[in-house]
Amino acid sequence: MDFSVLLVDDDERIRQALGLALADEGFAVDEAVSGEDALSRLDTDTFDVVLLDLMLPGVDGLQVCRTLRAQGDLPIIIVTARTDTPDVIAGLEAGADDYVTKPLVASELAARIRALLRRRGGPRQNISYRVEDLEIWPDEGVVHRSGQEIRLTRTEFRLLAELAIAGGRIVTREQLLQRVWGYDYYGDTRLLDVHIRRLRTKVEHNPEDPVFVLTVRGSGYKIGPPR
Amino acid sequence: MVRRPSLRWRVAAALGLGSVLVTSLLALATWNLASDYMLRQRLQATTRQAQVNLRLVEEAVRTNSDGLTELLTGLTTNPDSTIMLFRADEVLTSGRQVDPAVVPDDLLAMARDGTPARQRLRADGIPVIAVAQSLADGRGVYVELFQLVQLDRTFRFLSGLLIAGTVLSGLIGVGLGSWASRRALRPLTELTAAASRIAGGDLKARLPDQADPDLGPLANTFNSTADALEQRVLRDARFAGDVSHELRSPLTTMVNAAAVLRRRQAELPGTAGKALSLLTSEVDRFARMVVDLMEISRADQDADREDFEPLDVGALVRGAASLRLDPDVEIVVEPPPPLVLGDRRRLDRVIGNLIENAEQHAGGAVRLAVLHHRGNVRLEVDDAGPGVPSDMRTQVFERFTRGTRAGSRGTDTGSGLGLALVAEHVRRHHGRVWIEDRPGGGARFIVELPEAAA
Repeated sequence: MDFSVLLVDDDERIRQALGLALADEGFAVDEAVSGEDALSRLDTDTFDVVLLDLMLPGVDGLQVCRTLRAQGDLPIIIVTARTDTPDVIAGLEAGADDYVTKPLVASELAARIRALLRRRGGPRQNISYRVEDLEIWPDEGVVHRSGQEIRLTRTEFRLLAELAIAGGRIVTREQLLQRVWGYDYYGDTRLLDVHIRRLRTKVEHNPEDPVFVLTVRGSGYKIGPPR
Repeated sequence: MVRRPSLRWRVAAALGLGSVLVTSLLALATWNLASDYMLRQRLQATTRQAQVNLRLVEEAVRTNSDGLTELLTGLTTNPDSTIMLFRADEVLTSGRQVDPAVVPDDLLAMARDGTPARQRLRADGIPVIAVAQSLADGRGVYVELFQLVQLDRTFRFLSGLLIAGTVLSGLIGVGLGSWASRRALRPLTELTAAASRIAGGDLKARLPDQADPDLGPLANTFNSTADALEQRVLRDARFAGDVSHELRSPLTTMVNAAAVLRRRQAELPGTAGKALSLLTSEVDRFARMVVDLMEISRADQDADREDFEPLDVGALVRGAASLRLDPDVEIVVEPPPPLVLGDRRRLDRVIGNLIENAEQHAGGAVRLAVLHHRGNVRLEVDDAGPGVPSDMRTQVFERFTRGTRAGSRGTDTGSGLGLALVAEHVRRHHGRVWIEDRPGGGARFIVELPEAAA
């Protein structure tokens, strides 16, 4: 369980305290003091997850988030003092997988990280699910549309896989938040909304008129009918 | 004081009255001039006609012709007119038959005295004009009755027209007054609307620019007041946001350092260990207090900005209970699913805080119920504690009221804001929260929220 974490925060005391506490939780913690620092560290080293403060001097957190997302699907958790909706949405839109607000306790953060990095349990079965020209292999983590692979982040893929495995049955928002993000309780539905939107822009032919990821008003989401 | 009619109606009434006054004056003058003129014309015509006829009759009388009756008959070409010749012993009549008695004696007497006389009168229900003149030899009076039916009809039409015109102008005056005053008052209506939008929390409400020199200053003053208010509110909000941010960072350091210390508490025995335990628990409580305070101050600021979604309160309560309560606590959810429109996080906070409150002050909740009650969804959280004295039942929902309740734990770990947040969130959902006695002892916290249509 030795996950490596890159902690990006310009406040030295926070870095130290959170670093100590996360180390207590069993993580290997590296620190970066700025956006530039974080990006250069990520060029040379590999990490399992990035904890990113949004308010950074120079290259700010949102910019770092976008850059990392453009490079790959490295899991990103935003650690922010801003809890207002526009800030949270902006962070998620920039590609973050999850977010926590300060003041946060390391144990809470550890739970978030573990949920994010958790793999699907159970024996591997090479089952694929088909919806029109979309083909999903949950165990492989691969999605094809018309034979072309679509690149999804880990979280986006898990969201799609949960819907695919349910096979057209409705999956409630609570269930999705619980299964994908590991919220044992009510998570923030904004988190889900933004991820669904991002998922649609990647897999749907026309995100405005989805055929794969369907909204069921008032209860949740389901995958489109298979062919 | 008698309630005065609105300005709009006063203006309308004044304008209506004024226009009625003016038009009725005009109508009266028109009526007098026109009727006078037409009557005079008719009189002149009849007098001329009567004179001509009189001369013919005089001629016949002088020559003592026998054809007097025929002549009289011949003279009455119009079937409605009547000719009467009053002579010493007889009255000769021709044309429309009329009782000679309708001719007033005064008129005959005047004519006999040599003054040609005329008078309007009604003969058998028909308006006529009687022209009387004595014969040249003084041995009789010639009377001719000309009917005025045509003229009368014209008069009636004219008077009808004038009255209708007066009434119409009055109505138009009222209408115009009402319209004009509404136009004139429209900026005031806009001002009222904008002011009430600001009062309702929309700080962006402004009046449109007014080109009118009378209204411009009002709009400008209003808009600059609204600008100042908006600036001030934004500044306050920014300050609260800054404070929030500034406090969150050191708190993050403190709670995590405390977590590290707590893990190693065993390494610090005795007095230092006790002090450490005090410190870490107070740091946690302080953090909770700050977070709650942020939440309450944020709730103060943004009014009804987020979209509410339909939520099943039964599911919320079951979810909260499964995490925070012993499985033997009674949970009652009345079917059908009790739906409200709300913010999930806030309602969850309401339920959680009520459960926490019962834990801290009354040994824990013993029953949670979600019921349908008169168009509301009613949440009841019961505890078996000492209850809440009636004089404390509103006070406990105020900020930082704690520790004074009977049965409070000495080591209170609450923020002092839990129930205040409950009240704040419930209010935001247009609901109500209050405390009753639980049947069988203890307190019952009741939250009622408007039920949403399924």
